[in-house]
Parts: sequence; structure tokens; C-alpha cells
Amino acid sequence: MGIIETQGLTKRYGQVTALEGLDLVLDDGVTGLVGANGAGKSTLIKILLGLLGATQGTAQVLGHDIRAEGAKIRSLVGYMPEHDCLPPDVRAIDFVVHMARMSGLPPTAARERAADVLRHVGLAEERYRLMGGYSTGMKQRAKLAQALAHDPRLVFLDEPTNGLDPAARDDMLALVSKIGREFGISVLVTSHLLGELERVSDHVVVLDGGRLLRSSATTEFTSDTGLLLVEVLGEGDAQTAMGERLAAQGIACRPRGQLIEINAPGRADLHDLVRDTAVEVGVGLVRLAADHRRIEDVFREEAGHGPTV
Amino acid sequence: MAQPSEGRPGGVIHDIGYRPYTGPRQGTDAAARSLFVAGLLNAYGIGRSGKAKGLPMTLLAMMVVPAAIMVAVMVTLGLTEGFLNYGTYPVSLMLVIVIFVAAQAPVLFSRDLRSGAISLYLARPLSATAYALVRWASLFVAILVFIGLPVLVLYVGALTAEADVSEHTADFLAAMVGIVLLSAVLATLSGLVAAHTRRRGLAVGVTIIALLVSTGVVTAVQAITSEQGNETAGRVVGLFSPFSLVDGVQAELLGGQSSFQVPPDTVGWGLLYLVVCLAVIGAGLWLLVRYYRKQAGR
Repeated sequence: MGIIETQGLTKRYGQVTALEGLDLVLDDGVTGLVGANGAGKSTLIKILLGLLGATQGTAQVLGHDIRAEGAKIRSLVGYMPEHDCLPPDVRAIDFVVHMARMSGLPPTAARERAADVLRHVGLAEERYRLMGGYSTGMKQRAKLAQALAHDPRLVFLDEPTNGLDPAARDDMLALVSKIGREFGISVLVTSHLLGELERVSDHVVVLDGGRLLRSSATTEFTSDTGLLLVEVLGEGDAQTAMGERLAAQGIACRPRGQLIEINAPGRADLHDLVRDTAVEVGVGLVRLAADHRRIEDVFREEAGHGPTV
Repeated sequence: MAQPSEGRPGGVIHDIGYRPYTGPRQGTDAAARSLFVAGLLNAYGIGRSGKAKGLPMTLLAMMVVPAAIMVAVMVTLGLTEGFLNYGTYPVSLMLVIVIFVAAQAPVLFSRDLRSGAISLYLARPLSATAYALVRWASLFVAILVFIGLPVLVLYVGALTAEADVSEHTADFLAAMVGIVLLSAVLATLSGLVAAHTRRRGLAVGVTIIALLVSTGVVTAVQAITSEQGNETAGRVVGLFSPFSLVDGVQAELLGGQSSFQVPPDTVGWGLLYLVVCLAVIGAGLWLLVRYYRKQAGR
């Protein structure tokens, strides 16, 4: 049985449909929930937490029904909302202890867990500072810490990388991946940036306008396209020189940005040939890699339009 | 900005293994108790920034110091009769009480809404209804301590000065019942204002004006109507301020002394005052609960 299952889950606000007949079965591990803003990601999470009532349909989280056992679900699940949710005049350590207590941990355990999770998210020394003085990156970490404080079996992370600079974004994604793989806590993580989820999720669910566009393993999305990508460096226009020499040897290729895309399925000696050609042309071979499809390609093909990448 | 401690994954600090929690987990009643205690302490600035302690602690001192001085005078001069009045003490320090209530209700009712922390509370086992009621209970007890502590000081002082124990105990208990009612009414009204305004400054202003102006109007109208011999009108007006309302209950039903010009003079009026008191608390709580239940879906 999956950790999250929905059957015909529908949510309407008057005329507006936020979710339409959603049927999902999600297993352990890290699941990415992708969709443009307004695709219904946050609405789905709030329904699964029992905070919003569904208009139609049913759902179970960790085997508990969302209508009848909301409190039980909320005790087993952690939630990191998208928006600001930290009181500025409280120290991170006090806040996380308090939130652990709210989830039912006894006082001593709450203090130990709070110190532990704050260390795991990378707020070891800063935990004694008031959260009002935190940078966006630190706030996101504190929000994550409170979601993990009670050692949930599942966490909902709503746009955890929102507002972060590239370095902090990488750190946050590494943390998300670690929560799913090392901590043994299942993760449902949302993002409107497809490339991010490709890196950390085992499974990706694509929502578009409240409808399920696709739900499948990340590997299916990012399967091998059979193309080979080559990057070379050298004097003058090394890319063109290399491409022309390859074409002269009967290899189908074309430029793709700074790369050369080679389409020669079934040639076993292709790697050797590319290497030897590079030596002949006198250019440095920087990259020689199989081309993988990216989630955004799938999304673009299936939806006919894509969110920002 | 990449802080040194926000280092790359795999950094020294991060890589201590994760320990799952296998110990006991308590139910929602333990969480509610914890929220209640935390809220009560927060109302006095404890568990918040140092700055947050300034106002509530200063105000509490302003409440207790006059009582302490009265006790000192009483003990030194050996006065035991006619000097103390438990029931009127809160009304005489009304301004201090109003400032405390107005300033500290937003701590419990605006702060979580404004910071967004409410969504973290509601994503935990405690229901929105329980959250609203526990927050109210914290504010109620915070106000009760604020008003009740100086009266307790007076009572202990009177006993120290060897006053008549039974007489003072009866007066003290009657006054405390009134203080419990007053605290509940003030917590309900200020909590409602704070939850709906969200902005602390606005909530403080609205609460202070509402409480002071309503009491001022009651005093003024009662003065005018009693001059014209129309005491019924004065009694009806007395229903419109928390202070005159609870004062009426305390004076008529509990045998205390009134601080207002036209207190209820019959048990019927006293009961009406009591019913209005309870209705305000009941309706206010219902509105608060309804408001927080709506927050869950936001």
C-alpha cells in the first residue's frame, strides 16, 4: 500500500477548480510534485493534512483517511509551508522545541530532538539567535527543522527552495535528498522548477491546472535518448572543425549550444572514433556523455506548454 | 549569501547520523497543556526577546506596588478596618489593566496570524477549536494573575495585620469571583479584537479606546441620568462597559462595594448583569473558534 493514495480527489472554490479527479498512489522515498503556480500543489498538501475539505473523492495518508483521522495524520506528518511562518521574536531552538511539544513529544525528548534537527539542517550555532534576524536561507532551514522535529514518517515540503540563491538551493536540495534516503522519512516536495526535482526525487508527479498530467518514476522521465553529447575546446572555432570532421566520416551530428549532438545509434566504436577525431583535429575533448531527457522535455511534450525552468 | 555554516552538503557539522525518535508520544491534551503554559509565559514576555518582557513586567509592578504600600501602611499603623476594599481595587487601577490587556492580547492572538506560525500549529494534531480555546485560556489566566495578584497581596497583608479573618476572607473571595469574571470578559473582547486586526499597533489602539471610552461613557451617562432621576437608564448603560458590567455583578450578587454611580439595586438587575457577562464570554468564544477554524483552509 502506498503512503499517499487519492481516489478522484476534487477541490472546487466556487467556479474555480483547484484539483480535478486526482487518482494517485505514491510510495516511500522522495516524490516530487511539479506544476506551475496555481496547478494545485499547495491545495493537495492542505487536503492531505486534513486542513481543507475535499469537494469530492477520498484520500489516505499512511493508511489513515483524511476525513476521519486528520489529527492522527497530522501527528505522523511534518509540514513545511511555502510562506513565512516563523515568529521573529523567538530563538530557533525555543521555537523548534515548542513545535516538537505541539506534536506530542515529552519535554526532554523535544529539547534533544530540536537540537538534533537544527544541527542536521545546518543551524548549529545560529539556533540561539532570534529568527527575525535570519537570512532567507536560514529561515528555510528553521522551517525545515520544525517539520522534522517530531521525527515524522512523512514530510510535506512546499517549495523549500523558494527565494534561495543557487548555492543555498543546492544545499536545500541535498538536504531534501538526505531526508528521504538517510533519515528514512518519506518526502513529498513541491517545486515549479522541474530541473530541481529531477535531481532529488525517485518519483515525479506532474500537475497541470489541477489535473494529473503524469505520475511515474524519475528514471522514466530521464531515460537515455540514444544521443551522445560532445564538448571540445581549442583554437578558433573548435566546435565547427570537430563537427565537420565527424560529418566527413559519416557520423550524423549537429550543434546544440556549445555542444555537438551525435546521432549514431548502434555504432560500438563511437567513443573511440570521437576520441581519435579530436586528436586528429587537435582539439581538447572536454565532455563525452550520453544525453538524458529531462523532465521539462516530457512536460513540454505532454502539456504543450511548460512552467519556467 | 552563503554563510560559513551554510557549507556544502557533506560538511563536518551536518554529517552526524540521523537518530529516529522511538520514545513515547503524548496525546493532544499534553500538547494543549504545553501550548497553554507557553502562551501564559509569552504574555509576560518569557520565552521571547528581552525587550518583550519590559512592558508586562513594568505594568505588573505598577499593579502590585500600590497594594504593597497599602499593606505596609496598614501593618505599620495597625489599621484593620475600613481601609481596604478588594472589589474596588481593580477599578481604581483600570488604566493599568487596560494597557496590559490591550498590549498583551496581540501576543497571543495576532502574533501567530501575522507571522504565519498559525499554519504550523494547525498542521499539528491540536484542532483549530482547541488552539483558539487554549490561546484564550492563556490570556484569561495571564489577566487573572495580573489583576488578582495585587488583591492577593492586600489580603495576605490584611491577615498579617491581624484583621478579622472570616470577614476579610469572605470579601476577598467575593472580589476574586468578580476578578475571574472581569478577566474572562477582557480576555474575550481583547482576543477578538487582536485576532481580527492582526496588526499589533492597531489592536492595542482599538482595545484601549474601546475599553476606556466605553467606561467613560458609562460614568458620564450614569452621572447625567441619575441627576435627572432616571436610574434605570443608567443601569442599562452600565451593561456596555466590561468594568461596570462586572462591577455590577460583584456589587449586587456578591455583596461587594461598587465603584460606579448607579450599580444594580435588585437581584434581578444583578442577574441581568451576570447573564450579559456570560453571554459576552460565550458569544466571543464562539466567534474566536469560528475565526480560527476558517484559518485552517487558508
